[in-house]
Amino acid sequence: MADIIKEIHDAVVAYRKDAIVEKVEKAINEGIEARRILHDGFIAAMDVVGEKYSQGDMFIPEMLAAAQSMKLGLEKIKPLLQGEVAAEDSKGVVVIGTVKDDIHDIGKNLVAMMLEGAGFEVHDIGIDNPPENFVAKVKEVNARVLGMSALLTTTMPNMKEAIDVLKDEGLYDKVHVIVGGAPVSQQYADEIGAGGYAADAVAAVEAVKNLLKN
Amino acid sequence: MKQLPVETLRPSMRILSDEQVQAIHHAAMEIMTSYGMHVQDEEAVQIFRDAGAFVEKDRVKIPEFLVQDALNSAPSRVVLANQKGERCLFLEEGKTYFGTGSDTIYTIDPETRVRRRVQVNDVGNFARVCDALPNIAFIMSMGNPVDVPSEMVYMYEFAQMVKNSNLPIVFCSDTGKDTEKIWEMAVAVYGGDRQKLEQNPFLLHYVEPVSPLIFNKTSVQKLITSARHNIPISFPSGANAGSGAPITLAGAMAMGIAECLFGLVLSQLVRRGVPFVFGPNVSIMDQKTTVVSYGCPEWALTQGAVTDMGRFYGLPTWSYAGATDSKRVDAQAGIEATFSIFAALACRSNLVHDVGYIEYGTTSSLEQLVMANEIIDMARFFMNGLEVSDNTLALDVIGRNRDRSSFLGDDHTLQNFRTAQWYPKLLDRQNYPAWEKGGSLTMEERLQEEASKILSSHQPDSKPGEVLEKIDNIIAAGI
Repeated sequence: MADIIKEIHDAVVAYRKDAIVEKVEKAINEGIEARRILHDGFIAAMDVVGEKYSQGDMFIPEMLAAAQSMKLGLEKIKPLLQGEVAAEDSKGVVVIGTVKDDIHDIGKNLVAMMLEGAGFEVHDIGIDNPPENFVAKVKEVNARVLGMSALLTTTMPNMKEAIDVLKDEGLYDKVHVIVGGAPVSQQYADEIGAGGYAADAVAAVEAVKNLLKN
Repeated sequence: MKQLPVETLRPSMRILSDEQVQAIHHAAMEIMTSYGMHVQDEEAVQIFRDAGAFVEKDRVKIPEFLVQDALNSAPSRVVLANQKGERCLFLEEGKTYFGTGSDTIYTIDPETRVRRRVQVNDVGNFARVCDALPNIAFIMSMGNPVDVPSEMVYMYEFAQMVKNSNLPIVFCSDTGKDTEKIWEMAVAVYGGDRQKLEQNPFLLHYVEPVSPLIFNKTSVQKLITSARHNIPISFPSGANAGSGAPITLAGAMAMGIAECLFGLVLSQLVRRGVPFVFGPNVSIMDQKTTVVSYGCPEWALTQGAVTDMGRFYGLPTWSYAGATDSKRVDAQAGIEATFSIFAALACRSNLVHDVGYIEYGTTSSLEQLVMANEIIDMARFFMNGLEVSDNTLALDVIGRNRDRSSFLGDDHTLQNFRTAQWYPKLLDRQNYPAWEKGGSLTMEERLQEEASKILSSHQPDSKPGEVLEKIDNIIAAGI
């Protein structure tokens, strides 16, 4: 690994928001491919971050700061990536949002952040989304994964409603559905026909990766 | 213009009003001057007589001026060093230090988890675990071993504590004779430097009179021996309400204080300026079971009151916490340990012993000790109060996040999350699936895991070979 790639990697893990841009620019000037910066620098670093968090060695604010660092760097290489990245490089497109009548989004935002950190293209459609919103966005961006969040037992059934609409629209077999939120469980996910469930943001990244393997 | 910072209030607690303190003091003086104490040692009786006490047969009654003199000559603060000679326990106003307890009969085997008699290695194990725990500041033996000659039990205990930890040691002894041997070992720890040990002691002698109002021969001799060597002394009687003392707490305290002050007077008559830690142990004898409780609210209350009395006398205070009457480290153990630790910290008792006792002080438990370490951490966070400042009010942070969904990604969160929150080490806050994935461990299981981990991994900073050799030689020479 080129030294500068390692530096970028380490700067993300150490959430050096102040230093990351400079390092990425240096790598670009050295002629290092943007996709290498992406994979060996950013994504590899965020894997380490997720691992450290799972081990209890990193806390949420640190994980977020690492993701923010990565995002700053990503902005720099994005224009270069357009030409370079072939379809198979993209880990996948994810649509994520909170379901109808539910305005809670802290957990959902964390999941979105972590998925971005892991290299996914994430489209966050916010809170209080009726089923049509999810369907429309999945179609628009050709998503492979749909993530839905609910914090309340009363809004949880709206997940099932959205899945039913996906079925009606013939999208259910084309997109992997993953659900989460305090009242949601693996059992509930199974009941409503969601292929994935995760209890926290790091577990969500793992779950999405597993879904895409299938 | 720059303004003064807002002061942080550190929550604290008083148990007694000034008037109550006076009343208990007066009662203690009445006990000392009118009832006196059975002093079962001729040398001590002579010392008291020479100083101006009234002696009727073996009953010694003390005029108040002897108490006042003793309070004047005893230091207002006691400083203990660790075994490396670094001064580390400052028994002064507002400072609280936790440590283990002395002579339990049983311990919980660290491997089989079965309750059994104490072996000499157990004393070493406890010392080593304490050496690793950040909230444990001094050690006691945590058991009387049955696999060594009974007249040398305390010498073996002391050697184990020296070999397995560098923390200050609160020791017990059997008679004046083994006290002398233990002092020799302590001198050896300081490379033979007696003067250093007198000026900068790393040990404190725990001596007890017998309630009610008996100053038995061995206790007297132990106290005199330590006083001659300027070893700091604590002299808590077990003035337990409803057995050796009246069932009402005020009377039990007054009597326990009288017994304790007798020890203070004798210590100062033997050698002016001997450091003395004040306070009786006033628990209750449960009137249903005859058990002397180590988890009752009464003892937490009297220890806080004793601390108030210590302030009045200008002496550092002896206390207890972190123990339980439960036979296992279960919910009861957690409740009782938390209650007494919180009280001891809130009252700012100085030297708090018995951390890690279960079964009303009959059994020692590594799990209880490790749990108490966590409780102390939690209680300390609480007593630290709630800082109110520009940084903690975070008005600018609220302003810049008012249209966002959370404060999670803000730099202020990143900069402050470590100090703004307390993070448990062993209390579980994982979400259910994560907890399940980790083996669905209960608190007791996590405590066992942690204790085993420390036992198998922690080694205290080692002492010079010649020191250990000298200790072994003293043991080998016998008594």
